[in-house]
Amino acid sequence: MTQMLSPDMTMTETVAEKTKIEVKNLNFYYGQSKALKDITLSLPERSVTAFIGPSGCGKSTLLRVFNRIYELYPKQTAEGQVLLDGKNILDRSQDLNLLRTKIGMVFQKPTPFPMSIYENIAFGVRLYENLGKSEMDGRVEQALKRAALWGEVKDKLNASGLSLSGGQQQRLCIARTVAVKPEVILLDEPASALDPLSTAKIEELIDELQADYTIVIVTHNMQQAARVSRQTAFMYLGELVEFDRTEKIFTSPREKRTQDYITGRFG
Amino acid sequence: MGEHTVASFDEDLEQISKLIRDMADLAGSMVGGATKALLNSDNVLAQRVVSDDAIMDARQRELDDRAITLIAKRQPMAHDLRHVVGAIRMAGDLERIGDLAKNIAKRVSAVGLSVTPRDLSHSIDAMAQLVLIQVQGVIEEYAAGDAAALAKLRAADERIDVKYTSVFRELLTYMMEDPRNITACTHLLFCAKNLERIGDHVTNIAENAYYVLTGEQLPVNRPKQDETTMSAPAT
Repeated sequence: MTQMLSPDMTMTETVAEKTKIEVKNLNFYYGQSKALKDITLSLPERSVTAFIGPSGCGKSTLLRVFNRIYELYPKQTAEGQVLLDGKNILDRSQDLNLLRTKIGMVFQKPTPFPMSIYENIAFGVRLYENLGKSEMDGRVEQALKRAALWGEVKDKLNASGLSLSGGQQQRLCIARTVAVKPEVILLDEPASALDPLSTAKIEELIDELQADYTIVIVTHNMQQAARVSRQTAFMYLGELVEFDRTEKIFTSPREKRTQDYITGRFG
Repeated sequence: MGEHTVASFDEDLEQISKLIRDMADLAGSMVGGATKALLNSDNVLAQRVVSDDAIMDARQRELDDRAITLIAKRQPMAHDLRHVVGAIRMAGDLERIGDLAKNIAKRVSAVGLSVTPRDLSHSIDAMAQLVLIQVQGVIEEYAAGDAAALAKLRAADERIDVKYTSVFRELLTYMMEDPRNITACTHLLFCAKNLERIGDHVTNIAENAYYVLTGEQLPVNRPKQDETTMSAPAT
């Protein structure tokens, strides 16, 4: 599958469309085993893209390529190109710290640091910026507000991040990601360990954040993908099977494999 | 289409399909019965059609319940979603066909025994036959998964419209010839209009069925041939 797959937008939508991330002929290997096969797709700026597919299809692997987090592990290699604003992030010359400020990531299980709520956010900011006390206070407040958590924690900023509920912890992680002012936010199953109300809050948050950020979400919950994303990619056995507008994927997909998966006929 | 990993999902969908087939069979028998009762002034048959409408309504309610429950329980996607939503809409049209057939049946006694409808209108019989073929055909083609046949069937409604125009003109002539025909002819005119409306519901069903099967909508515009509105107020 070498042709460029991009969502088939209507005329009005394509006018303001700018590509944020462009993946070209990407192959990925865990040692000898090929986990991504010649992936080519482009993700539009300031919109939500969902990756769906059965376990082991490569959706999380693809997400992990976007901030090169895979390099923390031995024998994992990526070939091809991933262009962020036209610049190949797989280049050896790419500054990884800079890349990860631009592309933030939130994981399936909430991962707050064992420190105060305030420090959970300030810690990351300090790595990249030298802010005064009041500026830092402002940044923390802004990030917590952006993550719709401020109202719940503003009176206990010194309490441990671990004292929060699962849903609050996950929003804290999103606040932490937003605080360093990224351009892209990667969400790997961000709500799979949360109750329905916390899930709804995260989804509402995603909806708000897309005005400023390019968001990529991996999810096993198809209704969630249908609710939050504007375009959806279906992956299977390391291949990109279909990439299209979310409405199209969930009402009348082009490919039989997509149809079989989303209607619960395999996977 | 393969089977779902959850087998009971297939059973739920099949029950909805079966209800649609049952409703379509009943609609066909009601339309056929109503026109036969009209043409032969058969009050007993007309009564049966009237009472069948209650069965039709009950089936529609059952289908609605099942479809809503399925959506809540299974959150169907893609073809499954189109299938369920399409079934709800088709059931609505089938139920309306039942109502219109019942209305024809109720007019049988009003037309009365004084005149024989068959003598008053030769065209209404032919029109009824065309409508019956459409009603019976649409669910058969849907069950067979033949989208092309459904598009063709939808276009064939034009012939019913043409027939309706000629029935209208014919009945108008009889009324002008002899005012004593006016009561019977007016009832027959309503019956013809009902048949024409049944044809329209069949085209709705064909459009829905086409969408369920293909995921594509048929073009909006279909040629209309009802010219009676040109020479008389709309009924």
